[in-house]
Amino acid sequence: MKIFDVLIIGAGSIGLPVSFYLAKKGLNVGVVESLASEGRGQNRAAIGGIRATFSDPAKIKICQYSLDLIKNMKTEYGKDVDWVKGGYLYPAYDIEIENSLKNLLVKQKQFNLNIDWISAQDVNETVPGINMNKLRGGIFSPDDGSASPIKVAGAYYSLARKYGAEFFFNEVVLETKILNDKSFRIKTNKNEYSSRFLINAAGADANTIGKMVGLELPVIPDSHEAGITEPVNPFFSPMLVDIRADAESANYYFYQNKEGQLVFCITPRPPIAGTDCDNTSVFLPLVVRRMLELYPRLRNIKVRRTWRGLYPMTPDGFPIVGFTKEVENYFLAVGMCGQGFMIGPGLGLIISEIIANNSTEYDFILDQLTLYRSFVGNEILK
Amino acid sequence: MQRITHHPILKINNQSKTVKFKFNGEEITGFENEPVSSALIANGVKEFSIHKIQDAPQGIFCANGQCSHCTLIIDGKPVKSCITALKEGMDVKKLIHFPDLPIDNREFTDFNLQNLNCDILVIGGGPSGLTAAIELAKLGSKIILVDDKDKLGGKLLLQTHKFFGSIEDCYAGKRGIEIAEILEKELRSYPNVQVFTNSMVAALYKDKKVGIFINFENYAIVDFEGLVISSGARERNLIFPGNDLPGVFGAGAFQTLVNRDLIKSSDRVFIIGSGNVGLIAAYHALQAGITAVGIADILNEVTGYKVHADKIKRMGVPIYLGYTILTAEGDGKVERITIAQVDEDFNPVLETAKTFEVDTLLMAVGLSSIDEFYNTAVQYGFKAVKTGDADEIAEASSAMFGGRVAGLQLAKLLGYKVEINGSFYEKAEILKSKPGEVFQIEKKEISNEYMPLFYCNQEIPCNPCVSVCPFDTIKLNDNLGNIMDLPVFDGKCTKCGQCIAVCPGLAVTLVKKLYGEFAEVVLPHEFEPTFSANEFVSLTDIDGNYLEKGEVIKINYSKRYKTYLISFKVLLENAHKIAGIRVQEPEKIKPLDKAILNYLPENGIVCRCERVTVKEVVDFIEENNIHDANQLKQIRVGMGACGSRTCSVLLPGVFKMAGIDWFEVAPSTKRPLTIEIPMCALVNEKGNEVR
Repeated sequence: MKIFDVLIIGAGSIGLPVSFYLAKKGLNVGVVESLASEGRGQNRAAIGGIRATFSDPAKIKICQYSLDLIKNMKTEYGKDVDWVKGGYLYPAYDIEIENSLKNLLVKQKQFNLNIDWISAQDVNETVPGINMNKLRGGIFSPDDGSASPIKVAGAYYSLARKYGAEFFFNEVVLETKILNDKSFRIKTNKNEYSSRFLINAAGADANTIGKMVGLELPVIPDSHEAGITEPVNPFFSPMLVDIRADAESANYYFYQNKEGQLVFCITPRPPIAGTDCDNTSVFLPLVVRRMLELYPRLRNIKVRRTWRGLYPMTPDGFPIVGFTKEVENYFLAVGMCGQGFMIGPGLGLIISEIIANNSTEYDFILDQLTLYRSFVGNEILK
Repeated sequence: MQRITHHPILKINNQSKTVKFKFNGEEITGFENEPVSSALIANGVKEFSIHKIQDAPQGIFCANGQCSHCTLIIDGKPVKSCITALKEGMDVKKLIHFPDLPIDNREFTDFNLQNLNCDILVIGGGPSGLTAAIELAKLGSKIILVDDKDKLGGKLLLQTHKFFGSIEDCYAGKRGIEIAEILEKELRSYPNVQVFTNSMVAALYKDKKVGIFINFENYAIVDFEGLVISSGARERNLIFPGNDLPGVFGAGAFQTLVNRDLIKSSDRVFIIGSGNVGLIAAYHALQAGITAVGIADILNEVTGYKVHADKIKRMGVPIYLGYTILTAEGDGKVERITIAQVDEDFNPVLETAKTFEVDTLLMAVGLSSIDEFYNTAVQYGFKAVKTGDADEIAEASSAMFGGRVAGLQLAKLLGYKVEINGSFYEKAEILKSKPGEVFQIEKKEISNEYMPLFYCNQEIPCNPCVSVCPFDTIKLNDNLGNIMDLPVFDGKCTKCGQCIAVCPGLAVTLVKKLYGEFAEVVLPHEFEPTFSANEFVSLTDIDGNYLEKGEVIKINYSKRYKTYLISFKVLLENAHKIAGIRVQEPEKIKPLDKAILNYLPENGIVCRCERVTVKEVVDFIEENNIHDANQLKQIRVGMGACGSRTCSVLLPGVFKMAGIDWFEVAPSTKRPLTIEIPMCALVNEKGNEVR
């Protein structure tokens, strides 16, 4: 039986960076994954946006780290992950949205985020040809950007392996036992492993994994469909997020990645709970209509592929991060609410500091994202 | 103009309207409504785009709407030129790297979501889809049939040769193009059938809908109860340096250009693969006036029907067995190719290399079923049947029978009370039999009476010669007791010549003793004769070995079978051996005296869309312990327009090169869409109605 300092359940957006940063700090790391390779759960479904422009201290800190780590992947580790600093842009077409965005802005500025209101004319300059009818302006955060989820996953996988992390693919965790010395014993369909620390980074399966040690985690997946187009020469740079809701959808967003392809996604209304990841006929006509209303120039771009992925949601839209009271040395990194890709690198680094170095620097994050919060309230820009 | 102006089988349509259009600013002409790609090839254009990687020139590849190598900028928009109809005044430009998205800022206001419904949706109107649809139409179900070509018939439309099989079950002896017309006419006679040509299924959706891209302009969502999946096959490919040069394309693409669009795409072709597709490609080349320089196959025997191969050899096309393709080379296009013999481990022996000067290399290395629609249908729990090549790669004769069976099976699944005749299954099985045993041809005594001789000595499912004989004196020997058996003659012959004219293998002759040491041999000929009576013509034995120059006595023409029957005066001693007429002399097709060897196998392309070489893929697999084909997406393999549909068949071999058994590799996930669709089409902007 293999014995590790830390076992991570899930080789996805969270588990991969955690495994790398822990292994780099010299810990003996094992990663158990039910799928065939790295990032095949929801990382493969992420569209690639990364922003730090939230309105709460925890996510701002984590994602500021993520942005730095992703930006420097190439110079630091020789891994090109298609980082593009294109910014995030939220256009406003009515006074209510303008007001809610501007209210948020006050808070965001308190955190020294590079984000501001720009005029309709400036919006049109950033996104040439955007529908100007009733456009009031928008908030724009130029330091945010995007990267390729599959390349980021591949980069962390290869780096983690380089530092000695061991990966066990196609292994389903069947049982988690806590032994008398408080160590963990994991039984999969193929093997048994033992470790001192156990990290639940199981994404949409977080609650199933949590139940094995008697935890009830309020993580319920719902599904979103996404698509990608053919590549064309760059013509706009930011992630465009339209937060207007209509009868069938809450919001939708899209950007042009480094390959020149548009990647887009929509939030269905009401949400579609469950773990079904098969394509539906509803998605394309719905998202395309909304995209063309906002940005008519897209009419001639060809849609290449579509897919559907899961958002492991929590009741308040914030992740659950930290040690549990019930089980010693059991760490939760779950409920990423569809933001696991952008949270992963920063959170991975932070978790490694907490576990390897007993760092207390991030206690404010653990306090905010604790499992033992009330879960009332709601993240405004999910 | 590189167009076919004479063809022994196909009718040359001179009615097409000539239109002017621009290519890279220069005014040229083409026929209205022909594919833009074909018009360009007719004008000698080989290079359609420049890839962003290494500025590699790209030419037409599938001619079938599947890949995206023929993308051009037409009137400012990037479009696949093989599915875009040519119009007067079009402005066509070569695509360099990525296109610019046209600046069209008109507000988006007018859109229209289309919904259609049917009982049964048939995906693909080839031989099996047509026959399945006909069986279902007879039951009164409401049927929608979707096909990606402008005419129904699928691969039948490209087949100018006569069919194997049996006349009663599958129109044997007729040509594919004629069978397609018969089936299309029958299908369209049912009022409960709606046909969408130039249309493709873009996706099967979990909510029991199918998205179809109609006329490559509109999008509709179809409700259905059952699915017939007759989506055919896609051509396989090989990895070798130069495999993405303009001028390397599939045998199917070649047939499309030559037989459908009547474009003389090439002057000299070389063919890789000796299956029926490769053999027929050589025959189609010759009919189109294109030199077929040779066929190579890595195996030591022909994989297609022997009777087909023999026919091709008699026409003068050499078949290099035990040879593999080493390279295709040239300055921006294929100018020469090099083959070499392989050792017992199938590795090339470079000393045996032969270089041929050709402008086209046709890949006919097999087909793989387009099975993803069926797999998805099963996964989603839909009522569906698959048939034809989508089920199993086989001859069209078998597909037509299989389609009927599949149609009835689906009817049963849907609760129709139908009986499926037990013999149907048996016949469908026999018709897709692989070729059987080869027998020695017995020497026959030649008499003063006409008698047919059969150069058909390998058991294949075929019997039209038996069916057409007016005296029933041609029978199948009773070796197996089915239509795989070989024909034998016993009794009377009136020299009607029908058995000669109907034989798809051109493997029947008529012989009679003349006088002295001479005899008469009547041979079939599917070319416009380039000789007349009293001239001497090179005649060969069954394998294409030269025997003598026979003197033409008489030229007859069977209008029904579009076949010439030519009587020759020959030496009596050769009469029982003469099996065919040479149409291509060996001098024209010899290799260069010295092979040109510039062999860098690591440069072969695996992923054509993203131009990833075999070395890059193998290195990545080895460095990263890759065991899931999806991981290759990190180096863009499978991320292109075709969605790994072209390269996925190559991956088992690539993993093997990296020392990994394919059975331990997780397959790459195939997702919709099957074809890229412009956003405006997905919502039918401008209120275009479904036609």
